[in-house]
Amino acid sequence: MKRGGFILVLGLVAAAAAYACVYLACTSSARSLQRSDKPELAWLKEEFHLSDAEFKRVSDLHAAYLPQCREMCQQIDAQNVQLKKLLAEATNVTPQIDAAMAESARLRTECQRMMLRHFLQVSQTMPPEQGRRYLAWVKDKAFLPDYGMPKE
Amino acid sequence: MKTNEPSKHDEALRKVLREWRTDVSLPPLFQEGVWRCIERAQAPTAPSVWASIAHWFGTVLPRPALAASYVATLLAIGVTVGWAQGHRQTARVKDELSHRYVQVLDPYLAPRQ
Repeated sequence: MKRGGFILVLGLVAAAAAYACVYLACTSSARSLQRSDKPELAWLKEEFHLSDAEFKRVSDLHAAYLPQCREMCQQIDAQNVQLKKLLAEATNVTPQIDAAMAESARLRTECQRMMLRHFLQVSQTMPPEQGRRYLAWVKDKAFLPDYGMPKE
Repeated sequence: MKTNEPSKHDEALRKVLREWRTDVSLPPLFQEGVWRCIERAQAPTAPSVWASIAHWFGTVLPRPALAASYVATLLAIGVTVGWAQGHRQTARVKDELSHRYVQVLDPYLAPRQ
């Protein structure tokens, strides 16, 4: 009975140890991404197999793009506030509402143009094959017909 | 010291028993009831589940081939479950980071402070 109990425990300990070792090995790349300074850029480097030099160029482009993005965010927020205010008081489509909606559409187009320019620049710093893959992926994410819609 | 010879006391007892008569009748099916009790007492009792398990651990599991198979099977289960969950977790984290990358760059998706 004693020997049987020992074998029983040995099997359970072996299973737990095997589980822990394999799980930790499989998730090591994900954990190292999460621990990095900018996880989303670290993910980009791993996903598109970028060298350190390529990654540096991509990071520089990213850093240069972010202030533009913040500026655009502020414009969008201000425009949204104005449009909301006009809509709250509206009983019919006034020329002001028309103009505000046109401005919102212009901002959206401008925003998409800015993003596309950035995506193209980033893809050009990557090896050609990875650049094509990156562009296909990012267009799919940011320029789909159901762009901005909640997924099912 | 005891002897096998019947003593005078035994003889007296036999005499009493021979002369003893009772007019009380036995309850119905008395004999069958007695036999049933005897059968029940002699029937082999089924071992409990715990006793069977304990017996199995004590005698069957320690056999080298079975012990090795048992440990190998649990090891394989541990590896398979660890691999599947590890891959699922990695895929989840990468999906989240890819989403975050687009979110950082897209003013319409960027989280507002």
